[in-house]
Amino acid sequence: MMEKEFAPAGLSKQKPITASKPFALYRHLNKLRWLSLAVVFLMLILIPLLSIYQHYVAAQGYNHLSPSQTLLYDTMEFISAPFVDAPEHDLDAIKGTTWSGQLFGVKLSDPLAIVGQSAASLKLYWPLILTAVIPLLATLIFGRFFCGWICPATFIYELNSNLSVYLSRFGIKNNRRFHKNIKYLVLALGIGISAYTGTLAFASIYPPAVLGRELYFSIALSGFGGGTLFFILTLGFDTFVSRRGICRYFCPGGALYSLLGRYRVVRVKRLVEPCNDCNKCNAVCEFDLDPMRDNFGAECNNCTACISVCPKSAMSLTLSISDQPNQGPGHQSRQYRQQNSDHNETIQVKNIS
Amino acid sequence: MNRRHFIKQLSVVTAVGLTLKTSLANAAFKVKQFTQRYVRPPGSLTEDDFISQCIRCNQCAEICPNNCIKFFGTENGIASHGTPYISPREKACILCMKCGDVCPSGAIQPIKRELTPIIEQVNMGIARVDKQLCLSWQGKSCGVCYRACPLQDKAIIVGFMEQPEILDACVGCGLCESSCIQIPQAVKIIPSHTIDQLRNS
Repeated sequence: MMEKEFAPAGLSKQKPITASKPFALYRHLNKLRWLSLAVVFLMLILIPLLSIYQHYVAAQGYNHLSPSQTLLYDTMEFISAPFVDAPEHDLDAIKGTTWSGQLFGVKLSDPLAIVGQSAASLKLYWPLILTAVIPLLATLIFGRFFCGWICPATFIYELNSNLSVYLSRFGIKNNRRFHKNIKYLVLALGIGISAYTGTLAFASIYPPAVLGRELYFSIALSGFGGGTLFFILTLGFDTFVSRRGICRYFCPGGALYSLLGRYRVVRVKRLVEPCNDCNKCNAVCEFDLDPMRDNFGAECNNCTACISVCPKSAMSLTLSISDQPNQGPGHQSRQYRQQNSDHNETIQVKNIS
Repeated sequence: MNRRHFIKQLSVVTAVGLTLKTSLANAAFKVKQFTQRYVRPPGSLTEDDFISQCIRCNQCAEICPNNCIKFFGTENGIASHGTPYISPREKACILCMKCGDVCPSGAIQPIKRELTPIIEQVNMGIARVDKQLCLSWQGKSCGVCYRACPLQDKAIIVGFMEQPEILDACVGCGLCESSCIQIPQAVKIIPSHTIDQLRNS
């Protein structure tokens, strides 16, 4: 009887849980992220098709096209006709891949391309550097958001990690872990090799660049190039050796974004009051981080999967340039309750004495 | 002791690296095979600068209305992996200058699509006529290369029986080569990087 009266008294000292609830729509950001990934990937398929359509338009030979080519021509005309007057020139506004491209006339480049080119040519080419300003600013604010929200390789890798969950039923494990700092070594080695040989080494080993190029080759040119083999090997590595291993441990672009996003402004934050230490956030985290113990680090790409999976709405976004220190066990967890009740007992003992 | 050991190792690595830089990098990474004759897109830098500046984004080929730009695998050395090229006999450049506008890396410089800038700045190569193969020089009036040339009377002139003569203003677009009706072709583009290498050696 006495204990039952003391327990609610101990909990009532804390703030009510409803006071620190995250914004309700944060929970749906993960769906928006999947939409964004899917749109980027479909654009990588659509842009080469539009490019072929432009070739046909430029050749002015509709009557000479084969039936399959006519189908492509008509489909692309149907898609693009509401937006352009003269497809041969107006469709030049969207070109390229996530590595470097034009989006409605704005040239955008991956910061890794600038790093690689500067290392290879040993000089700064300002028109290229200016194309990376917008991605660079976004990275300084949102950290590794490219990895979670845009990267076409992430789209494949993340679907593949769902497949490997299925494969783990049959005993195919991919739970090997490597050191997280290997990717910085890959970045440094890539810069070194680029400067050493005078050629851009990153374009051949950076998965989104390889994937974008291979999609273009396979659709608009003769067929898949050697990069497809590389990409399939990375997929095999992810499936059979280490879950999301390329992104976590080896991607040079991820290393660069981690460095740039070291003091990012937008961060995922754990609210300690509603948290019940269920470990779902750690299980869902693609980057092997530890959200349950407030340990995000430079690797967090704000993918918000932990926000959407949290059953207690204990994950939120915040504006801060550093992670908060470990707040201890969540206040809804058994561990915290036990500690708290011990604390009450000591107080009780003191009062008695 | 430990630091001294490290410095010793570092110096050895640097020395090995510098020797490799001269031998291995030049030999293995920049294999220039002459099995395939290719030219870089119009407005390109010289071959080594082009390889180090190009970021392999494929936009030049995407924007090319003539669909003439192709990409290297590893057949021309690892260094030029993924870089664009034009094979003039298969499909030649029409000098639309769109690739220079779209290229973000500066490997293909933007050049105005006017006669003087093109003649002055584009240097893909230069055409050479094989008079043994050329129909006009062998007495059958042809003149196809002259009609295909975008820089008529600047880069190519024809004389008696439409016998072609190439002038120095030729930029090496390759339209004459792709249109030549002789097999094998009587007019060929000598790429500018080949000319440079022959000059250096």
